[in-house]
Amino acid sequence: MTVDPITVQILRNRIGCLMEEMSHHFFRSGYSTIVRESRDFSCVIVDAQGRLIVAPPMFYHAMSYQRLIKRIIEVYGLDGIEDGDVYVCNHPYEGAMPHASDMGTVAPIIVNGALLGFSGAIAHKADIGGAVPGSSWGSATEMYQEGLLLPPIRLRRAGKTLPDVERLIAANSRQPELVLGDLRGQVGATLIGRDRVKSLAQEHGSDLIVAALDAMAEASAREFKAALSRLPDGETQAEGLMETDSREGPVRIHLKVTVRSGHLTFDFTGSDPARKAPVNLRRALVESCCFHALIGLIDPNLRYSDAAFEMVDVRTTPGSVCEALPPAPCSSYMKACQRLIDIVFEALNPFFPQRAAAAAGGSGGTITFAWGLGPRAVRGNQHEIFGSAYGGGQGRDGASGTTVHLSNIYVTPIEIVETEFPCRIRAFELIPDSGGEGEFRGGLSFRREYEALQPALVLYRGDRAIYPAKGYGGGADGRPSRFLVNPGAADEQQLPSNCRVDVEAGQSFRVEASGGGGFGDPRKRAAEAHEQDIEDGYVTK
Amino acid sequence: MTSASQAGPRYRVGVDVGGTHTDMVLADTLTGKIRIEKLPSTPHNQSIAVIEGMRRFLGHGIAPSDIGFFGHGTTVTTNALLELKGAKIGLLINSRMRGVLEVQTQGRDGFSPFDHFFHRPEPLVRPKFVREIGGRVDYLGAEIEPLDEAAVEQAARDLAAQGATTFAICFLFSFMNPSHEERAAAIVRKAAPGAFVSRSSAVLPRIREWPRFSTTLLNAYLAPALARYCGDLAQGLDGIDVRTKQRFLMQSNGGVMPLVADAETHTVRTLLSGPAAGVRGAAVLLGKEQGWANIITMDVGGTSCDIAFIENGEPHEQSEGVIDGRIVGVPALDVITIPAGGGSIARVNDGGMLEVGPHSMGASPGPACYGRGGDRPTVTDADVVCGALNPDYFLGGRAKLDVEAARAAILRDVATPMGADVSLAASGIVRIVNAHMTDAIRVEAAKRGIDLTGFTLVPFGGAGPVHAAQVAQQLAIPRVLVPPNPGAYSALGLLCTDVQHDYLRSDLRDAATLDLADAERAFAGLRQSAEAELAAEGLAPASAGFSREMDLRYAGQGYELRVSLAGLPDPLDAPAMAEIVRRFHAQHEQQHGHCALDAAVELVSYRLRASVPMPKYRSQKVARQEPQSEPKPRGVRRLTLGPNETVEAVLWRRDDLYPGWSTKGPAIVEQVDATSIVPNGWSVRADDFGNLLIERDA
Repeated sequence: MTVDPITVQILRNRIGCLMEEMSHHFFRSGYSTIVRESRDFSCVIVDAQGRLIVAPPMFYHAMSYQRLIKRIIEVYGLDGIEDGDVYVCNHPYEGAMPHASDMGTVAPIIVNGALLGFSGAIAHKADIGGAVPGSSWGSATEMYQEGLLLPPIRLRRAGKTLPDVERLIAANSRQPELVLGDLRGQVGATLIGRDRVKSLAQEHGSDLIVAALDAMAEASAREFKAALSRLPDGETQAEGLMETDSREGPVRIHLKVTVRSGHLTFDFTGSDPARKAPVNLRRALVESCCFHALIGLIDPNLRYSDAAFEMVDVRTTPGSVCEALPPAPCSSYMKACQRLIDIVFEALNPFFPQRAAAAAGGSGGTITFAWGLGPRAVRGNQHEIFGSAYGGGQGRDGASGTTVHLSNIYVTPIEIVETEFPCRIRAFELIPDSGGEGEFRGGLSFRREYEALQPALVLYRGDRAIYPAKGYGGGADGRPSRFLVNPGAADEQQLPSNCRVDVEAGQSFRVEASGGGGFGDPRKRAAEAHEQDIEDGYVTK
Repeated sequence: MTSASQAGPRYRVGVDVGGTHTDMVLADTLTGKIRIEKLPSTPHNQSIAVIEGMRRFLGHGIAPSDIGFFGHGTTVTTNALLELKGAKIGLLINSRMRGVLEVQTQGRDGFSPFDHFFHRPEPLVRPKFVREIGGRVDYLGAEIEPLDEAAVEQAARDLAAQGATTFAICFLFSFMNPSHEERAAAIVRKAAPGAFVSRSSAVLPRIREWPRFSTTLLNAYLAPALARYCGDLAQGLDGIDVRTKQRFLMQSNGGVMPLVADAETHTVRTLLSGPAAGVRGAAVLLGKEQGWANIITMDVGGTSCDIAFIENGEPHEQSEGVIDGRIVGVPALDVITIPAGGGSIARVNDGGMLEVGPHSMGASPGPACYGRGGDRPTVTDADVVCGALNPDYFLGGRAKLDVEAARAAILRDVATPMGADVSLAASGIVRIVNAHMTDAIRVEAAKRGIDLTGFTLVPFGGAGPVHAAQVAQQLAIPRVLVPPNPGAYSALGLLCTDVQHDYLRSDLRDAATLDLADAERAFAGLRQSAEAELAAEGLAPASAGFSREMDLRYAGQGYELRVSLAGLPDPLDAPAMAEIVRRFHAQHEQQHGHCALDAAVELVSYRLRASVPMPKYRSQKVARQEPQSEPKPRGVRRLTLGPNETVEAVLWRRDDLYPGWSTKGPAIVEQVDATSIVPNGWSVRADDFGNLLIERDA
């Protein structure tokens, strides 16, 4: 069946809006601060093969869906998947979830016995057990320490939630109410997506929907093909190091990019073996990172579908940090992804001179406070996610104090933090000179300084304390990150980028994210731009 | 609902200033008739066109003293912001907290997540004009460090010397305890006489520092421009002897405020007012007076389409909006703007797919068919090629449209790349732009938990009526209502408003353990502010009605829902509080599909709205008398609405029609300021109020 291109386009927009609608429902209805303030989730509609037709804004989830759905089909068989089912999974290997804290839900869309596609969502959960509150532990050595693992299993059957599964999850969480509240909101969003596609099928006919989904996938593949066919042939290499907290030392990611007649190969086979530390990636994440950088460099509004893989190969070695095997731990995947993207940029920059950019500050780190006893009763853990800064790029300084690349997360307002938790924020400011110098300067990172008003266990996971954001084309590196206890005092102490500290009431500590790398030779920087930086206090000399 | 003569002067004026035109309506309370003037806007000083329009009205033999009401929608603040022509701000902020300004939300809203060239909007205040001030209050409002008054004074002097003419004072937790901000404001006034002073505890005493500071900065940035404009306008009105004290400005919340309202707190309330008057007009005239309780308004101009929902005669509201990437935390009618209008550009992308918008040719050079140098195919070009618009009767024949230019642009940029013929390509453009509007209405309705069954689609603006029936068809909405003067609907809406002031204060508490005496004290404080303000504006507080609301959330949630306290005892008692929480759960269920009866509920803010009723324009019935001869069709035109959907549509002139007249589609009804399409399978009739009702045949 062929569908006229106008109808395809109209349906594509409908599906994009539908995904937005799902996200909105979830965003507004989630219970934990992570979902609500941080928006660490995605919602999608995929076709019957699990192919993504429209990319979710939280793109690092993009490549997980197809693998999760493939696994569900393997386990249950196409005949075993029924209307009214919802599947749940948080398994980093079996379901390709970024880490165990991310839980995926999937509902088949079945009309008159025919499978049209799936509706799905992936969202971070506040706590699913494991060694530490919040479940993400920078010192984990096996995935079993990162929380309860659910392979793809049924959560709902024939339109009813299976209470056994909810009870199992609740029994493994330090914050069962939040987790179940979020999970129910997530299932609600998943079902909205399913039902809307069903009514689209009623409106247009199932055959037309299936044909239109195909046509949409192919149309965006053509857009990719056109863009890649304009690239010159060539080969580039880049590599980078990332700190881990283990005694294994840093981990090296190596990339060779080859462009031949519009076909692009990302070859990561020169990268280090997987680590005991939780910095390990899987194919789904590596592919997401490659496409994320590629889209940003070609045209940020380019439309992705899984059909774009026709023109792109990603090569990894099983057992390497880019294709880890169980039971390698995974929960620091975000900093690994951010690092990988910087490396992809470095290798792709020569092909895209107009949008080339230096490395970004990566993950600004996360901090979790498990508050101890004191005058104030506290509801739940305090969890904050920080941004860093973009690197400078062709024609533009990097943006300061922002989440970068894969991460797009709100900072928790000071007034919310202090009202909900027994701490005081003593400073929240950009760090002068933290952006790498260059013709186009790297963005500045920020510092946030806390004073605990009652005892707490503080878990900090940061990045780029040792290996800063690299400059590009003669630009200087960004300033590394730091985590300080008792900042400014005689006993000020810098702790490693992955640590847990018991703090006393009255004690203070400071998070400093990493600045972005500079782009191009600093001597070429326009004099006015430098003077403006001095006047603004962004640069001191 | 017929016209009733009311005491006082006979005429009322509504003025809506838009980017291209200034629309003015003069309503005669004696006859119920209206007179419309459309003038080119004068962007450098909008009051020039306004006063010129007033002169034209007076030129009809109307005495200035007979004008008893002047309602005005202005884009002065919006334009000053978009053009970054506001005043130089000096900002006072807590020590070591300036990161709030730089980091903002830390997110990248409004940008593609793939765009590593993300950047924030130009800052309204440069770091050089920011001063850090010692002093801090905690989350309960207790002072933990005294205000450094000497630093305030020094900062005010320095900044004024550097050229700051307006100050913003933004301290943490000032909504819990405004004393530091108040004291600082007093010091600034003394140290920098004549400067405007906006403080966050007066502009928006709401929790979450960045939205509050952003709103306060916007207020500070724009206050001098608004004050200057209001001065010019008042002088202009005085100059033509229009001396009425009833002079009002449109606000984002659908109400008006006196022209003399305090710019230091109220400026920002005009920022999202552009589309509010039309929505307000539809709510009052159609929703309340004519019985169309549930309406979707669709105001389509050259670059955008503004969509709003009216349920049970009330427009939806939002407590926060965004303009040009900046957060405005004041209540506003909930109007969704999408980049789809007559000037939206069509193109075929690398994937072979047709895209319409988001870029627009605007009014200048405009669509190819305007013949003013635009050569990209737009929605208006497609409308002309499809036969929806009459090239010889654009603006009532005052302008001609160049069909050949439209065809050539569509052929080159759309039809050829797609391998389609021109009329099919043109209908494709129309289908896609209609789908954008349909998608937006559907998504936004779903976000708000609105079931569109029983809704009527009301198009206005120049390009609304031509697309409305097809949008309604897609939405499975059986009825479109085109009001009599779709081109001047916002100006008319200005005659349908009340003075409406919103007061708010955050105080985050557990709802379960809330001390109701505290709550009453908070409401009493808001009421006091309201009464003082109304008195200062020359309005009698006794004439005001007050309505109370609470913002509630589940503990830890990042967003609140506004829960009305209507019908509950004042002062509150325990059963009333339980009812408020019950309403919250129900609202959460309605909007988000579920609620959590076991979860802890928190009160975040108290809200009070003060409304002072104003005399209004009322819906007018048209005399129901058969004309001497039946209206005659003005011809027939080929109309293409899609593949295999080309029909011969009968043309009608709207002025010829009378109440009770009807015909079956396909038909086209033309009037000076709009064209309405009646597709096959739909009929159209004129009702007693002069509306056109386009309805799907049963």
